[in-house]
Amino acid sequence: MTTRESQRRWGLFVGTLVSAILLAGGIAHAADEIVLGTAISQTGKYAREGKFYVDAYTLTVDAVNKAGGVKVGGKTYQLTLKMYDDQSDPSLSVRLFTKLVTSDKVNFLLGPYSSGITIPASAVAEKYEIPMIQGGGASGKIFDRGYTYIFGTLPKAELYFQSAIEAAAKMNPPVRTAALLFSNEAFDRSVGEGSRQWLKDAKIDKVYDEEYQPATQDFTSILAVIKTKNPDLILVAGHEENSLNFIRQAQAAGVNPRMMVFTVGPPTGDFRKTLGRAAEYVYGVTPWLPDMEIGGDIFKSARDFDKQFQPRFGYAADYHVASGAADVLAFKAAIERAQSLDAKKVREALAALDVETLYGRIKFESTGQIAMSQVLVQILDGKVVPVYVAGRFVNKPVYPAPKWSERK
Amino acid sequence: MLLLQVLINGLLLGGLYGIMALGMSLIWGVMNIVNVAHGALIMLGAYLTFWMFYLWGLDPFVSLPLTIASLFVYGYCLQRWVLNLVVRAQLFLTLLITFGVEVVMINVARLLWSSDLRQVAPSYAAANFEVGELTIPWVRLWVFATTLVLSLVFLVVLEHTRLGRAIRATSEELRAARLTGIPVAHIYAVTFGLGAALAGAAGGLWGMLFPITPVMGGSLTLKSFVVAVLGGLGTMLGAIVGGLVLGLAESFTATYLGPTYPNAISFGLLVLILILRPTGILGRKT
Amino acid sequence: MNVRRWVMPVVAVAALVVIAAAPGLLSPFMVQFVINLFMLAILAESWNIIGGFAGYASFGNVAFFGLGAYTTGILITKAGWTLAMALAAAAVVPMLFAALVGLPILRLKGHYFAIATLGVAETMREVVYNVEVTGAGTGLVMPIARTPALFFYLMLAILVAVTLVNAWLAHSRFGYGLVAIREDEDAAAAMGIDTTRYKTIAFAISGAFAGITGGVFAYWITFIDPDAVFRVIVTIQMIIMAVFGGAGTVAGPLLGALVLASVSELLSTQLVALAELFNGLIVILVVLFMPKGLLEVVKAGRGSFRVMARNLREYRV
Repeated sequence: MTTRESQRRWGLFVGTLVSAILLAGGIAHAADEIVLGTAISQTGKYAREGKFYVDAYTLTVDAVNKAGGVKVGGKTYQLTLKMYDDQSDPSLSVRLFTKLVTSDKVNFLLGPYSSGITIPASAVAEKYEIPMIQGGGASGKIFDRGYTYIFGTLPKAELYFQSAIEAAAKMNPPVRTAALLFSNEAFDRSVGEGSRQWLKDAKIDKVYDEEYQPATQDFTSILAVIKTKNPDLILVAGHEENSLNFIRQAQAAGVNPRMMVFTVGPPTGDFRKTLGRAAEYVYGVTPWLPDMEIGGDIFKSARDFDKQFQPRFGYAADYHVASGAADVLAFKAAIERAQSLDAKKVREALAALDVETLYGRIKFESTGQIAMSQVLVQILDGKVVPVYVAGRFVNKPVYPAPKWSERK
Repeated sequence: MLLLQVLINGLLLGGLYGIMALGMSLIWGVMNIVNVAHGALIMLGAYLTFWMFYLWGLDPFVSLPLTIASLFVYGYCLQRWVLNLVVRAQLFLTLLITFGVEVVMINVARLLWSSDLRQVAPSYAAANFEVGELTIPWVRLWVFATTLVLSLVFLVVLEHTRLGRAIRATSEELRAARLTGIPVAHIYAVTFGLGAALAGAAGGLWGMLFPITPVMGGSLTLKSFVVAVLGGLGTMLGAIVGGLVLGLAESFTATYLGPTYPNAISFGLLVLILILRPTGILGRKT
Repeated sequence: MNVRRWVMPVVAVAALVVIAAAPGLLSPFMVQFVINLFMLAILAESWNIIGGFAGYASFGNVAFFGLGAYTTGILITKAGWTLAMALAAAAVVPMLFAALVGLPILRLKGHYFAIATLGVAETMREVVYNVEVTGAGTGLVMPIARTPALFFYLMLAILVAVTLVNAWLAHSRFGYGLVAIREDEDAAAAMGIDTTRYKTIAFAISGAFAGITGGVFAYWITFIDPDAVFRVIVTIQMIIMAVFGGAGTVAGPLLGALVLASVSELLSTQLVALAELFNGLIVILVVLFMPKGLLEVVKAGRGSFRVMARNLREYRV
């Protein structure tokens, strides 16, 4: 073959490839459907948490459609999901969200998981003026850029440990010293910043204040130092793997604080299953529990939601899942309130939204983030028991936690 | 005493680092292949240990020989039918292909076993004993002892068996080895198999201490690089020494500098060693 | 007048004019895709300078990319510099860093050099994690720019520049010197080539281009954190694209980037969660069947299968 021929073949190959990409997106969608688009982590380091949202979005969209869809201007619309995998990569997320908006022409956007991906992804929503509701990022940095098209259903990171610290100060005997350990990441650093303030307000002495790399698995050195300070309370901000490792290694190192609180882990089913007995007496924070007396449209109660979720997906719903479901429900409510599919009108409806759902009261502050308090929970007998919320104890916690060596 | 506790912590973990790097050092030293998929092999070993524990209730120490054997077979096949095809290519091509293997292995693991965190948690998992003010977890001690035993066995095999001699001969002078009738393709496959087996053992042991996910291997590959280079590429004892040194360095840095520094220190050490003494602590200048 | 000599440059300029009109013609998603494509092509071409021409396979070029991203990020958000000045700094700072780091590291060969560069990239990521001025683990939030066309033209300009540099290398004494170093460094030194100077300059140029690309990337993506800009996979991508297209050639990395980025994007949108698996398989197949680049295989036309089979056997034990 001559060079000219091989070049022609090259050109043909490349041309076919490029055309394939041009045609790959931009499928027109049916006239009576509302498309919710998202790029969520289905592979990569956030794959585990991303699945919570994939499942939550799927279940809620199905439930809404089964209950009659979304009614706008006398017409009934079915909800459709268009989901991509961002491979836990922020720049791919940005490209995929751009594709969703410009090529797939979705109506509205659902958010990704993790503050680090949500920050750039929300910029796309803002740029194209399409509302995005996300339930996977809590860092204040998502909401302090003055954007108006991003809404979030996770409460502010800075507030995460507020109820825990308030409760600690009211325990009998009250907590006097605390160790603060947080991961070197947007969300956890925000948690750390907030916690310092709460500790000061509660007049609790901070004897240890360190951050660790998110990928840390070995906490033995940290624990060795914490052991010498002997704090009453240990606050740990990190991902589930960090919490798991910390607890197991605390047990092995013989570290016995009166109270240990984690941002992520305790409310989630597989956390308790993996740790077994070691999870006893551990505290966590969550804005949602399946037993809560809350409910609303589509799902009459939180319990009702979990009853539909667990059999279908094989694990119990936690607040990530409920938050994802809330995002879909918030869109339904806003669209019906605005009686329009126009992005600007729906945005305004979202900003003014005030509705009760299985997740609780959805009302966004002016920044776009939901205002919701965290419930302090304790794992007792393998179950998640709410202990302190909205300024008061709702159940008696087991405090101080028995020493590791004294447990059965 | 904090100092002593930090020292012990570092040594115990360092032993595990050592055996992790042993497999990589062997493959690198003998075949000049930098195995980027090393972490994935560790991951595979960890998952095998987990499934045998979860499905059949096999204690992880008991199932270790099974894990080692399985990874040996896997590594042998991988080298014999895939990697042997690129052994003589430029270095970065072998790096690229092992990277491709790593990506494939991680994704297959994720598709088969999902990204859920797995943990091998036998009843004695958190048991510890105290010596004065020191607290020493039993599992870590046994893991450390196992790594020493395995390393010793491996070193004996390498120095005093015919197989070991064949491997060393092949690494030192390929043409001469061929001339003396050593089946090079087979020896290479055995070598990789051994390296994989060691990685599998490291994975099984690692899984007793830390949670298992499909993506756990990436950082372990990097750590193995550091340890292998630190101790001296191709010298097996060097991997052990390098592991202990890294374990200690991480432990002391985390305690006295801050928990966000150990990785920066270990990679900085890697670069420094390569610049100042590329042959590592125990390596000889060739 | 030799008409044939003018065909390639004229075609190239014509293609450039067409491409430059693209933002007005293509959908916004395609524009994003092309920006990403240009970025990968620049990185592949810049790697080609040190890895393809000089034969020093650096596995840490993402360090320069990330350094450029953070230089731009910090200068814009903390020092109020303009984009133009911050981008210029994003080229200069990594260039100087590459020259500095290159002095000790370029003395290493083969695997040692590769691992050392990898170590530098990892160390840099960890250092950035620990320093407050970079925002540490929280990252840096950049101002939002509402004109994607800006990034399109910036990346295009840088791509043209780096391709011209590669073309110059292919025909200049300096470039021949690099090739000589690649083929036999001792012989090259014996011939009187100052190998240290040549290598360091190549490394520095490579770093400068990777750096300024990182700067544009930071502004484009509006948010950077250490994990986002110091990813090992980025280095692997630039290498595999250069190799696939043909390392050491001028057009090779461009073609490699074009084909592989397109395939990857296609996979991501069609296969979703299986995309990564296929990307891994592609890497394996490329190394096995076309280690010298796609062009070598394509040129053989009908004999391409034979070429691939030969490649399969060529490097084996």
